Amino acid sequence: MKKRIILSILLLITAIGFSQNTISGTITDQNNIPLGGVNISIQNSVGGTVSDFDGNYSIQAKDDDSIIFSYIGFKTQTIALNGENTINIVMQEDSEQLNEVVVTALGIKKEKKALGYAVQEVDGESLEKAKEANFVNSLSGRVAGLTVKNSTDLFQNPEINLRGASPLLVIDGIPDRTTDIWKVNTDDIENVSVLKGATASALYGSAGRNGAIMITTKKGKKGKMSVSFNNSTMFQPSFIKVPDVQTTYGNGNQGVYAYVDGSGSGTEGGGWIWGPKLDQLDPSTPSGYVETTQYNSPIDPQTGELIPIPYISRGKNNIDDFFRTGLIQSNNISVDWGSEKASYRMSLSNVYQKGIVPNTDLKNTSFSVGGSINPSDNFKVNSTLTYNKQYTNNFPEVGYGPTNYLYNLILWTGVDVDVNDLKNYWREGQEGYQQRHFNVSYYNNPYFQAFEYLRGYNKDNVFGNINFEYNITPEFSLKGRSGANIYSLYRTYKEPKSYIGYGDKSRGNFTVEDSNYFDITSELGIKYENDLTEDISINGEFAYANYYRNSTYHSTATDGLNIPGFYNLDNNSGATLFGENDITKETIHSFYGFVDLEFYNAFYLTFTGRNDKVSSLPEGNNSFFYPSISGSVVLSSIFDLPSWASFAKLRGSWSRVSEGKIDKQSNNPYSHIQAYEKGTSWDGTPSAYFGSALLSPNLKPETSDTWEIGSYIRFFQNRLGLDVAYYQARDYNNLIYSPLSETSGYTSLLLNGDVFKRKGIEFTLDASPIKNENFQWNTQINLSQYRRYQEEIYGNKEQTEGFIRVGDRTDKIYANVYQTNENGELILENGFPVSDPYQRYIGYDEPDWTYGISNNISYKNFNLSFLFDGRINGLMYSTTNQKMWWGGTAPGTVNQFRDDANNGESTFIAPGVKVIGGSVEYDVNGNIVNDTREYAPNDVAVNYINYMQTTSNNQNKNYHYYKETFIKLREVTLTYTFGKAIIDKMPLSNLSLSFVGRNLWLSSDIPNVDPDSGKDNLQAPSTRSIGFNINAKF
Amino acid sequence: MKKITTSFICFLVFLTINSCSKTEDLQDDPNRATEVSPELLLTNIEIQAFNNISLSAALASRYLTYTNGVNSNQYYNWQRAGYDDYDNLKQVSKMMEEAQRTESGVYQILGKFFNSYFIISLTEVFGDVPYSDAIQATENNYTPVYDTQKSIYLKVLNDLKDANNELATNEETILGDIIYNGDKLKWRKLINSYYLRVLMNLSIKEGNDELNIVARFNEVYTNPGKYPIFESNEDNAALNYYNIQDNRYPLQNNNDLQTAYYMEESFVERLQNFEDPRLFAFAEKKPNAADLPNTDFSAYGGLYGSGDLNDNTSKAVAGEASRVHPRYFTDPENESSLLISYAELEFILAEAVARNWISADIDIHYKNGISASMEFYNISNFNDYLNNPDIQLSPGNEIETILTQKHISMFLNTGWQIFYEQRRTGFPEFNTDGEGILNNAKIPKRWMYPADEAVNNGNNLTDAIQRQYPNGDNTNAEMWLLQ
Repeated sequence: MKKRIILSILLLITAIGFSQNTISGTITDQNNIPLGGVNISIQNSVGGTVSDFDGNYSIQAKDDDSIIFSYIGFKTQTIALNGENTINIVMQEDSEQLNEVVVTALGIKKEKKALGYAVQEVDGESLEKAKEANFVNSLSGRVAGLTVKNSTDLFQNPEINLRGASPLLVIDGIPDRTTDIWKVNTDDIENVSVLKGATASALYGSAGRNGAIMITTKKGKKGKMSVSFNNSTMFQPSFIKVPDVQTTYGNGNQGVYAYVDGSGSGTEGGGWIWGPKLDQLDPSTPSGYVETTQYNSPIDPQTGELIPIPYISRGKNNIDDFFRTGLIQSNNISVDWGSEKASYRMSLSNVYQKGIVPNTDLKNTSFSVGGSINPSDNFKVNSTLTYNKQYTNNFPEVGYGPTNYLYNLILWTGVDVDVNDLKNYWREGQEGYQQRHFNVSYYNNPYFQAFEYLRGYNKDNVFGNINFEYNITPEFSLKGRSGANIYSLYRTYKEPKSYIGYGDKSRGNFTVEDSNYFDITSELGIKYENDLTEDISINGEFAYANYYRNSTYHSTATDGLNIPGFYNLDNNSGATLFGENDITKETIHSFYGFVDLEFYNAFYLTFTGRNDKVSSLPEGNNSFFYPSISGSVVLSSIFDLPSWASFAKLRGSWSRVSEGKIDKQSNNPYSHIQAYEKGTSWDGTPSAYFGSALLSPNLKPETSDTWEIGSYIRFFQNRLGLDVAYYQARDYNNLIYSPLSETSGYTSLLLNGDVFKRKGIEFTLDASPIKNENFQWNTQINLSQYRRYQEEIYGNKEQTEGFIRVGDRTDKIYANVYQTNENGELILENGFPVSDPYQRYIGYDEPDWTYGISNNISYKNFNLSFLFDGRINGLMYSTTNQKMWWGGTAPGTVNQFRDDANNGESTFIAPGVKVIGGSVEYDVNGNIVNDTREYAPNDVAVNYINYMQTTSNNQNKNYHYYKETFIKLREVTLTYTFGKAIIDKMPLSNLSLSFVGRNLWLSSDIPNVDPDSGKDNLQAPSTRSIGFNINAKF
Repeated sequence: MKKITTSFICFLVFLTINSCSKTEDLQDDPNRATEVSPELLLTNIEIQAFNNISLSAALASRYLTYTNGVNSNQYYNWQRAGYDDYDNLKQVSKMMEEAQRTESGVYQILGKFFNSYFIISLTEVFGDVPYSDAIQATENNYTPVYDTQKSIYLKVLNDLKDANNELATNEETILGDIIYNGDKLKWRKLINSYYLRVLMNLSIKEGNDELNIVARFNEVYTNPGKYPIFESNEDNAALNYYNIQDNRYPLQNNNDLQTAYYMEESFVERLQNFEDPRLFAFAEKKPNAADLPNTDFSAYGGLYGSGDLNDNTSKAVAGEASRVHPRYFTDPENESSLLISYAELEFILAEAVARNWISADIDIHYKNGISASMEFYNISNFNDYLNNPDIQLSPGNEIETILTQKHISMFLNTGWQIFYEQRRTGFPEFNTDGEGILNNAKIPKRWMYPADEAVNNGNNLTDAIQRQYPNGDNTNAEMWLLQ
């Protein structure tokens, strides 16, 4: 209600002061198809409008005004009114202009045809309807060469790979080296520009070596004040992938189960799910089913003993019963206003995500302001400032182990346990001290975990920047920019008594972590711009830049708690508190510059250079220069191309980028300093030790040389466009921890060594197969491949420790396998496989192709867009699948052999051979040098359960490395934009309603897990998101 | 207007320039020390050396069995071991380096002992390993040559003797000592007792003149003033555990120990036959005899080490096997971990008498060993046991009897030592006749070298393998020590 009043007031304000003639008309293209979205503004005045879907517009103007019609890809037209009230316009396509202004490094907008490297943009609008918890997830499949591996877990970063490496995140020109993808609100994103190669981002220096994801946030626009409201509500009612477990057998081992005290030992079966068959009839019991003692058995008041209860599959729906419908709700309201002198935007957003695990959520609130002022014609200042808060009392811990929900819910819980019965999670009389569960040595009651083991997270982010440009003369201007990223993060870990970790039963603990972070990037430079002749122009910049970071970290933990459930450091029951802290400071001083040359609107050439002086390398080797050159030729401006080719361009670039950071992962700037580490204190006596890596004295920066060629061609009146890029990078002087013989005292030597070659190819195909008055269909296909090869191994070693040889792909996987004979038959001894003492090659990690197919279909007021994406080939290890075979929950374990084993019979004869004579000898690399073994078919029957507990069925499941191949229906959005007739009756300028689905359908080779995240260390079930979006402008 | 613009720009320029911090000012890591005093390193080295409770060793030495799958330690088809002890040798070398810097000689003397201890641990596992050339990465020696086992033993014997002699005259204080709290006499007792262990390790090489084992042994044994040795459990080289984070007994809360490890049958039967009260300290009653009193020997049982896994798991499920005593997985302090104990020393002396290396009353040393072990487990009433005819030494079987007692005394302590003793003497017999046995029913004699070494020091490794093991690097090959 309150909101509505504010809106009305805002609307009232905007309406005042404009009472002139109404000019209207229809805008079409050369083919007489109505053009929506054309910008219509009045010369020398504020304000404007856009044409609607049918190409109609209306605008207030005075008789002597001139109206400007502009639309990307078309020539801008200025029409003097001369008293006319109806102006119909036919827009002329501009094949040279196209829609080709893109944001490049340092926020400089350039014509795409001038670029010598690959840049791909994603419009903020395509991200705002189908909301994800963070904007990066929404980029999946939209950019060739950018692979986003989405996590299924709440509040976990996706893995972002751009051409196989982690790109830099840049917000309004200021790099965010902390890569906090959660602090940018999707509704505030005007545009995401992905600078793919090193050349594209060379101006960011070392940090931009792997390309950059550049976010431009929305600023105030010239025109009347507008208020936008966007609501998106997405539910996660179901799963597209969840482990499928057998429901035939229950908890226990060797077909035996009887609960004693929850310790897991004896007849409790050691935590295995290799127990008796469930739901077996037994006429001799009161229930008619086989009965045994269970954790929820009543106690006989006479004897004090547990009374057996039916052993039945009451927990078949444990997954659905425990997980709840997740929700992502995001609301944004923004106000926008601008004149010739100033513009301003403010935006308030809130994203609430309710996790599928009870008592987990994530709140993410942002308030941002941004604007610009032009106090005089030659001076421009703009700035943005955002406050963002990420807050939760509890979000789930991930990774395999008793701290994982699926681990406790289905992977290691037979269906004889009904999760509904676990809601009462304290053992009677031991509240606060002992959780209630069927096994309290190995596992956690999932409800106990959700409501008592709490991981709090509270992060306050402030980031923003200020830019100015002052024109000293028409050619020269002074430019400056300063931006900061600041956060403070407070985390808490509340661990109740009796909580189970690996081999650890908690005595209750409380841990507090504090981080404070500050970085500032400041730049000051001169810009030169001059059109020397009509056909030759030059522009360039030279600047000094400075980066400084100061961060601190501190954590304190108890060693047990006195009072259960009282989470305060004062409640420590141990002798002392345990704590650690660190302080990190880093700086980089740089000079950089670039020169752009343009000839005859057809030849473009750019030179860049940068010198960095870093604190993260020893003095003397810490200052380094690196250049780049790139160019493009617009063939269509030089030659007369056939009529079906509307535009053609060739581009090429070469760049060198050096980096002086040793430990990129931990972002530790002190890795070039050899020092002692803190060791364990023994009964209060402190200790220290020396690390296992030795540093060589003259560390230099590491360097990548990259070249890239590409072309961009458009056909059939721009209806079809193809962008192809091929690149090759040579990484040398790499700062590597070169492995040493441990006998030398160190496991590795940090040095500049090894050479890698990276190469890849990317295709982007745009097409508008259908385009007529009512019906339009646009499609974009992205396809990419990336490879990395070992070119040299430091010290001319025959192979790396991972068995990679020169010329090999570096993603070769070697695994511990069983021995096989020359026919590939498994070798067994006493019925069990014999391990190979040497690791063997089993496949490649990287997919062959990564692809995305997006479609946008408009019919009248309806718009349907959908996106498929996926990957082809590549292997990933699946912990979930391995543990299911090992633990007894894989459906494949339901068979006669298992029944036999339950009866104490050894009947399983694994296919393979046994050695009946001879022997084998290997050289040190595991090559067989002498093999006289003779074989006979394996005839030793073993207990099936023992066999699975020993092998996890490894030999039949490729040692649980599975093909990563998948295709996913990532997104479907159906939008209805209300027509003018309805809009006019409401105080609105635009209203649209969308039905949205994300992560809707998956087809993959790997069972039980979603391969999207590219790794499986027991991931949460993959959920389907369905919801709606309302977008209104006033 | 102009003025405002200018001052605004000036402000921004100021902001840019002022945020500078020089790179040369950030070349020190505020979080780590580049120099430390040697006692900080000593503490860590002691933790590494003395903390040696190993379930794998307990499986290989027929104390325990495992039911969650076929275990390579129990069924003797293990393959490789690691070179982690070289990191410990590096810590010792850093301690000696820091001791040199701070001119504290006593840490250099202790360094000789720890170097000896770690290199013996390595050579016992593999055979030839680098020593004279090792830990020299800082001198650009990245591919150390392998020393013969014999030369390693010779160097160790000399170093240990020097360490005792130098410690006798050193007057500095030892700080950071969590084992003996700086008591130098106790350190000398440890060094000399350990010296005798090393000599006993070489018993097969008794006739080797260069090693001259018997004379060396006698020199120490007959000269207690110059070479003091352990005299009681008070002198034990023991690491105590505390109920403090990271200081707790390593098996506390170990789930597998509670649910998948059971006592080994031949070991339990031996204790039952001898009516050995230590059984009650080692094991818990088997579930199907839970109603019997704790001191009823028949209430205990085990699974057969080399037995078929199916048989073992069935027996375990049927409640016929004992777990270890719950104190091992519940008590955070439980009992000390031993590098070498007084009991072990007494058994070494008894064996030396049996081998005619020294002349002494064998029975006294033997019974001292048993008594020390009983006292370690706080058992006071064991006179009957000492007089039990089944455990008495009799001519011809002394070594077997002594080793059998040594085996009992080393249950879940002293690392892999008892496995090496059995490898050296064949006593007590470790069963390999069960149906589950692998490795063609052979007990491995060693471990294969780490796989990484073939990549990082391939030529030297190949040389070492070729000169020692004609059939290649495998677990059944015999090292020099055993030939």
